[in-house]
Parts: sequence; C-alpha cells; structure tokens
Amino acid sequence: MAKFPRFLTLPIAAVMIVSACGGGGTPAPAGGSTAPGGSTAAGGSQAPAGSGVTGATITVTSLWGGSEQDAFQKVLDEFNKATGNTATYQAQRTDYATVLQSKITSGSPPDVAIMPGLGFLRQFARSGGIKKISDLGIDPTSLEANYPPGILDPGKVDGQLYGLMVKFNSKSTFWYRPDKLTAAGANTPKSWDDLKALITTLQSKGSATPLALGAKDSWTLTDWFEEIYLRQNGADAYKKLFSADGDWTDPTVSKALDTMKEVLTDKNIPGGITGALGVAFTDGIAQVFGTTAKADLYYEGGFVGGIATGQTNTALEIGKTIDWFGFPTFGGPGDTAAEIGGDEIAALTTNPGVKEFIQFMTTADSGNTWAKTGAIISPVKAVDASSYPNDLAKKEAAQVAGASAVVYDGSDTLPAGAPDMGAMLQDVIQGKDTTALLNTFNTGVKSAWAGEK
Amino acid sequence: MTATPVMVSPPRGRRVRHERTGWGTVLLFLAPALILVAIFLVYPVFSTLRMSIDRGLGGNFTRIVGLDNYISLLQTPSFVGSIVNNVLWIVFYTTFVILFGLGIAVVAMRVRYEATIKAIVFLPMAIAATALGVIWAFVYATDPNIGLLNAILGIVRVGPVSWLGDPSYVNAALIAVGIWGSTGFATVILSAALKGIPTEVLEAARTDGANEFQIFWRIIVPMVSLPISVLAVTLIVNVIKLFDIPYVMTGGGPGNASRVIAFEMYKQDFSAGQFGKAAAVAVVMLILLIPVMAFNVRRFRSSAVV
Repeated sequence: MAKFPRFLTLPIAAVMIVSACGGGGTPAPAGGSTAPGGSTAAGGSQAPAGSGVTGATITVTSLWGGSEQDAFQKVLDEFNKATGNTATYQAQRTDYATVLQSKITSGSPPDVAIMPGLGFLRQFARSGGIKKISDLGIDPTSLEANYPPGILDPGKVDGQLYGLMVKFNSKSTFWYRPDKLTAAGANTPKSWDDLKALITTLQSKGSATPLALGAKDSWTLTDWFEEIYLRQNGADAYKKLFSADGDWTDPTVSKALDTMKEVLTDKNIPGGITGALGVAFTDGIAQVFGTTAKADLYYEGGFVGGIATGQTNTALEIGKTIDWFGFPTFGGPGDTAAEIGGDEIAALTTNPGVKEFIQFMTTADSGNTWAKTGAIISPVKAVDASSYPNDLAKKEAAQVAGASAVVYDGSDTLPAGAPDMGAMLQDVIQGKDTTALLNTFNTGVKSAWAGEK
Repeated sequence: MTATPVMVSPPRGRRVRHERTGWGTVLLFLAPALILVAIFLVYPVFSTLRMSIDRGLGGNFTRIVGLDNYISLLQTPSFVGSIVNNVLWIVFYTTFVILFGLGIAVVAMRVRYEATIKAIVFLPMAIAATALGVIWAFVYATDPNIGLLNAILGIVRVGPVSWLGDPSYVNAALIAVGIWGSTGFATVILSAALKGIPTEVLEAARTDGANEFQIFWRIIVPMVSLPISVLAVTLIVNVIKLFDIPYVMTGGGPGNASRVIAFEMYKQDFSAGQFGKAAAVAVVMLILLIPVMAFNVRRFRSSAVV
C-alpha cells in the first residue's frame, strides 16, 4: 500500500487544479452565475439554475434497480435540496429502449432518460424522440470546461450534443488476487508478455487455471477485444473501427483476435473455453474472489470491485485479496489510453425542471453525492477525488483522469441493428474460422450503419 | 274484414321462418365472434404482414422496403440456425414427451399408487417456465459445488461438463429441460385416453394369447393414436412458439448455438430495434405453423376427438 498514494498524487493534483480553474464556468445550483453563452429561448442572459424554476416535478427513467437505484436516489434527493424541484425515478429494468420508444410514440415520455448504449441514443436523436441540449436553453460549449476532453463526444449525434455522460467505469482494469501473486513470488504485469509470463508462473506454482472468464455473458468478450484493439492500435484507429467507416476485415482486427486467443485458451481457463462459455459474468468473479476460488485473474471493468466486495465475498480486503492493474500494454500507440463504459443522460421533454435537472447533473454537487455512494465514477472534473469511498474507486478515477486518450465502449457504440458482436466472439474463441466470421460481421455492421441514416 | 289479417299471417309467418335461416340472422349471430376474430386475429395478421415489408427502425413504420427484410433474414446465419434448432426441438422434444408420457401412463395404470405417480410427474407443469430454466441452470452449472449433474459425474470421475457452454451439448440440454417440463402434461392426457379403452378388447387379446408387448403396440397404441396426434400437434405448436427456456438459460448462446425462432424475433425487435425484420420473423413463424394447423383442422373434421 505504501506506493499507492504516490501513484495517485499526480492525477489527483491534476484533477484538482483543472477543477479549480474550471469552477467558474460550472453552473452552480445554489445561485452563482451560469456558464457563458446567450442562446436561450428567453433571450439574453441565462438565468442562474438556482433562481430558475422551483416546485416542478419531473420523471427520470433508467434501468438501475437495487443498490444502484438507491445510490441514484441520493442524487435525486440532493437535486431536490439544491433546486427545490422534485425528480421521480422510474426503473425500467429490461427491454429499456423498446419501452422508452413506445412511451415516446404514445406521447407520454418520461422527462429525462439515462441511456445505456449509443446506438439507441443516435436512433432516438434522429427520430426526434430526444431534445438537443441546446433546445433546453443550455449552451453546449459552456459545458465543455466541466469535463475532461472527449467525454462529451459520445453524446453527440451528427455534430449536435444530445446526451451528457453522467457516470462511467473504466474498462481498462485487470482484477487479481494480490495474495496469490505474492505467494507465487510474481509481480503485476505491465506488458502483454508479462501477463503471459505471469500466467505461466502461476501455473507452475500450483494454480492450474489462473485466468477466469465469464463468457456466457458475451459482452465480457467484447471488452476483451476492445481493450486489446485499443492498446495495439491506439485511440484513433479504435474510434474509426467503431464508426461507420470501420472495416472489420482489416488485418488489425484479426491480429487482435489472435492476440486474445493467446491467453484465452483451454489451458489457462477453468473448464477450458467451453467451460467459460457456461460461466456468467458474476460467476467468473466468484471463480477468483469467491470463497472457493480456483483462479487468480479476471479481466473486466471497474464495476467488478463493487460486485466482488459487496456481493461475492464481503471478507475481501482491498489491496490484500482484491486489487487491479491497468490492462497490459503492447508498446504501441494505445498504451496510455483508457476505455470507459458509461451512461448518457438525455432530455425527452422541455418541461419546467428538465433544464435545471440536466444542469444539476453537470455540477460537482451531483457528482460528489453520487461518487460518495461508491457506485460510480463521475465524469465531472470538479468532483473531489476524496469523494470516492475506497482506494479501488480512487485509483479507477485517477486512471481515467490520467489517460492520454479516453475512448467509449465500442460495442455500445455500434448501431443497435448490428449483428451480435459478443456472439461472434463466442464463436471466435471456440476456434471457428475467424476470417469467415469477420466477413459476415463486417457485412452486417456496414448495413446496420447504412440503415441508421 | 277481420279475415284478411288472418289470411295474411301465414305468409308472414313463413317469411319469418325464411328470415331465420337467411344471411341477416346468420350474420347477427356470428357477428360477436366475427368481430372478435377480425380484431384480434385477422387484423394483426395483416398488420404484421404490412410491418414485415417496412424497415420499422425503432417502431417507426414509415419506409417500405419490399422483401428486403426477408432477404436479409435468409442471409443472417443466426436466423437460419434458429430454424434448424426449432426443427431439433420439434423432432426430439415432441417424440420424447409422447414416449415418456405414454410409458408412464401405461405403467402407472398397473400400480395402486397411480394418482401419486401422476401427481409427481405433473408437478413440473405447475412451475413457471422461467423458474424451470433457473432451476435447471443450477443443475447444469459447471461448478460441481453448485451443479447437481456435474457433482454426480464427479463421483464417477467424469467432467465437469459445460452443458450450457458447449455448442454440441447445449441444445440437447435445453430440450431435456423442455421434456422434463411437459412429460406430465402428456401423461395426464394419455392416461385419460387409456382409461377409455374398453377392457373387453384387452381381455379378448389376452385370451387369444397376445403378450403384453403385443398388446401395447398392436392394441393400445392404435387405439390412442388420435389423442397422440392431437397431443403432438399441441406440442409442436408450443415448440414453434418456444422462447422462455433458451432466454432464461443461455440467452441464445454460446455464439448463436441455441437460438430458436421466437428468440430471434425478440432479438430483432427488442435488442436491435428492427421491428420490420422482427415482423418478418413472425410471418415465417406463421407460415411454419400453417401446415400443423391444417393437419389439426383436418383431423377435427374427419372424426370426433377426445
């Protein structure tokens, strides 16, 4: 633990300095002047959020339940305290986008929706279901100072800002058991070769299958691929691949898949590949961090920490029996980049209170409240690093803050009508013909992009 | 003059009788049923046909694309695979449910605790299909500490087998769950049918020297062939609509190895937001059901059924 604070110092300092500078432009709910920019419907200068509408009631919908919902409720309570408006939460756990679409079509949409996945954000934006941020009387350029560069990009459709990221998790986190590595006399790996060497070392020290994989939930495989592709080819190539210009038959794609198959092998994984295909995401966590652990390493996003310590095994000790290292590097352009997965907030109406709510969600006030629950990492720059309740979350926030480039989860960026990328990867790790799979996938993705327009 | 109305009344009466068998009356009596059928059956069919030739992205049916949805479906490997899987379901699920159902019904009839046996076999019918899926997902779990099946295999030093993760086992594993869930239904239906076989026939056969095996295949099976065919049609119809077991247990995976038609429709609709393509899947499903229904209707016409 001794070296941990040192690792953190720089990013935290950076966050603090930037937030101190950017603070003036942040729309403060409790009065202060809002961001510059006069493009409001009312004309002239924008009214401060705090002295705007009060007493309005709006509905906010998302797919969170359980502890995630409780955490978000704290943010809604804070909104009520800060602005005098009420936001009511409506959970929609399954078939989120379809239910939302039917509510829009029937003319009774919720006021605000938090969207998972950008395909649906684009679809709703183009069909007119959601409002532009500027339609609310908020100047998009005024918000840029509140966020690290690139964070607002996923919320843009055809150059217009529709959604704002409200929470995210890093996907560049590789989880492990520090006690097992110490027992094997091994260090955390820096490069991909280090990772392969680590697996061999662990195997030689009695851990036959050190790498857990929950491939029954196929999105875990999309994250594996995305991380490798990003690290090997850099942020620009990554963004291109997950755009309408992406070419899935490019040699870089099959190279990344081959790299992935170097470690995702029958030998390294409990039960082999077919075993892993029957293991759900949370069961994979349990294989490493559960009470009857049989593996030592598990790659998935920052949210693993909360699930492992909260549900899988409450006896876990951060730094001793659970920790993570940054996804291994390849000495390429993407070594210092980070991938995130997050949710976008978007307005579906311009009812009184909606603008206030969206503005509130860009403030440090909402970010701090949410960060304190430990459920999320806040993209708002002004959020104090000390708000995060534990070292895992602090480290995660610092990783993203310190990244040279931040990219958004690629599979969440693809059009909703694209073929199932996870299912394709499930076929790939079983050793099926990669070229044929990629050709089919490429055709499907291309027509889905074309179909989106 | 009082006679005239009397004279008039018989034709009037005749006319009334004539009207009773006329179209007006027929329509009047049929109207409630026809209106319901029109609203809830005929209209949705045509509406779905209309949707299936539209792009229908996100539920907006504003751009007609002709047969593009169908062509694109045929080029989708997961759709073709789902039809193959449905055929597997139809063949194995239907056969084994009827075989087990008939077997248990015949055997149970000969013992005193028949009611208890039938109650136990029927029990899975009372479990919701989703719960059935969850229970069996535990049974199939790869971890022998959780998975009953792998725990048993562990005793004889086999496995653990990834029942739901291996494409070569997954369909068999799911079909087994379906069979387990429906055997009770078949048992109850066939048991009732068996009770309808007159004992004289069986006694006559025994007197003539037929053994029990011959009695089963030559007498019992032919005499319950009609209930069996009705049962088969019911099971096939259910299986073409099958959705819950793959949805709960595998999500169509690994890869697309365990997708079925209804699951494909759900994916196109709810996950991909391609309502037009989903409607096209529904139309294909309808087309697959037509021969089954035609067979059923013909059976109903030809003879009275249980």
